[in-house]
Amino acid sequence: MQEDFHYYATYCAAFLAGYSHEDSLVIAYSAQFVDHCSGTLLSRIKGPVAAATTQLQLELMDAETDIVGLQDITRIWSSFHFLPRDLHAVREKCSKRYLQKYRLICGPNGDLVVKTVELAKGRPLQSVGIAMHVLADTWAHANFAGTPSLVINNTNYVFYELIPEGEGYTERPITFRHKTSVPDDMENSIYTNSLYQRYENSIMNLGHGRAGHLPDYSFVRYRYLPAWGNYKEIVKDNPSDYMKAFTQMIYAMKYIRGDGDAFEKDTYDEEAVKAYRDRIRGIIEKRQLSASADWKAFGEELSGCEIPDYVMDRYFDEYMDSPAGEKEETFLGRFINGAVAHKGMVIDEIFRSGNRLAGVSKQKRSKGGRA
Amino acid sequence: MSVFRRIGLILGGLASGMIGLVMVLYPNDSKFMTVMLILATGLAIRGIKDIVFYFTMAKHMVGGKLILFQGVIVLDFAIFTASLSDIPKFYILLYLVGIHAFTGAVEVLRAMESKKFVEGPWKLKFFHGVVDFVMALSCLVFIRYTNTAVVIYGIGLVYSSVIRIIGAFRKTTFIMID
Repeated sequence: MQEDFHYYATYCAAFLAGYSHEDSLVIAYSAQFVDHCSGTLLSRIKGPVAAATTQLQLELMDAETDIVGLQDITRIWSSFHFLPRDLHAVREKCSKRYLQKYRLICGPNGDLVVKTVELAKGRPLQSVGIAMHVLADTWAHANFAGTPSLVINNTNYVFYELIPEGEGYTERPITFRHKTSVPDDMENSIYTNSLYQRYENSIMNLGHGRAGHLPDYSFVRYRYLPAWGNYKEIVKDNPSDYMKAFTQMIYAMKYIRGDGDAFEKDTYDEEAVKAYRDRIRGIIEKRQLSASADWKAFGEELSGCEIPDYVMDRYFDEYMDSPAGEKEETFLGRFINGAVAHKGMVIDEIFRSGNRLAGVSKQKRSKGGRA
Repeated sequence: MSVFRRIGLILGGLASGMIGLVMVLYPNDSKFMTVMLILATGLAIRGIKDIVFYFTMAKHMVGGKLILFQGVIVLDFAIFTASLSDIPKFYILLYLVGIHAFTGAVEVLRAMESKKFVEGPWKLKFFHGVVDFVMALSCLVFIRYTNTAVVIYGIGLVYSSVIRIIGAFRKTTFIMID
């Protein structure tokens, strides 16, 4: 997912969940900042590198794919962008090494999503934003894993875009190219993806790189053969998934605000969007590379307030100028605490499932308890 | 690609390029035996690695059988190469013709397949295929010369070292995940 959903749509969902304009902005900024809080950025603002929620292209290019390097990568990408659906998934007659990777496949409505939302309850708004990023990505990034793996994340030439026509769809073969310098060509279904790399742990085989940005576009529907799917095709219906992500975010944030005793899986707040369903569907299904302008206009209509553009370094000075003992109370200090807590929880859960691909949570070892 | 990997590729490329040049300039029988040994060992390691990878990981992957077939064929080539040390060089040259012609055909076919579904990298594959065909042809043309096998292998080494060094400077396309 991109800025359009993580920032503007998250703002809309937060406002519909009952947050004020100001609180919704904090949540939206935090949700989007997950895509920018890299180790390099944290070093620049003199924050703890352990709180990184993403890795820059150059960081990934320089990352070693030995066991320690793989754990570093997996910790970040599995925690924040590819939350595993089922850490105890069963796959017959496969090696332990394969099973560990298979169990990291991302998907919505897993136990870890519930724990993510529960962890955010009672915490600062920054943690709510982090949780909404993670929840939304479970829909967009479903069927790919947040660890480099050819046998899980690879795709082949079976890739067709489903274009709505009348009551049904027509199929158009998708062509991939490897040029990041040119934008995706939606009209002719030509998209950029990562190069095929036959090495299992190549960084090119991380996440949905082999499917390009298709998972990030709300309008697109496509069918393809996932490497792990035993030759069963998957039809990915992004408009439907993005609508579910949006209504699940509203439900989750209402729970965090105190509505209901438990956060239930597979539950969506359809009621909250009833009056806006066609409008939201229109934004989601519009064929465009970024839906930011449409979501922004919708959000401003909802709240009657202007939504400022996302500016990454808005809170940097506040954090850097604060004395050491007061940093935790700054905007970024709260974000960093939330990120470390969430990452610790996910690493701990992965480790307790017997999976060593994300290593061990430092917090768990040093404090003897969950963050 | 990490900086260390790039440096490794450049150093490896320079080393193998120099060995290749020595073979082209000073071919003889002892070098021929060394070439066979290196070739057989390298192929065997790669073949075994692919087979192990298939049974532990790629067995469950769509298209994973290709990795098994590749491993078996490469291992087969390794065993065959190791058995070539005491037969007339004429047969070895025929073997080299076969290998390069086969590899060239596979590369060209893969380039054509890539051209259909992916824009871009097919050109390099196609070029590899053409180079393999040229090598096969050279083996046939110079089949009477006893040192042809060493020279051809040397040229192959120089070519792959150049490709390796170019690869170290290439930008690697990477999709940033949001």
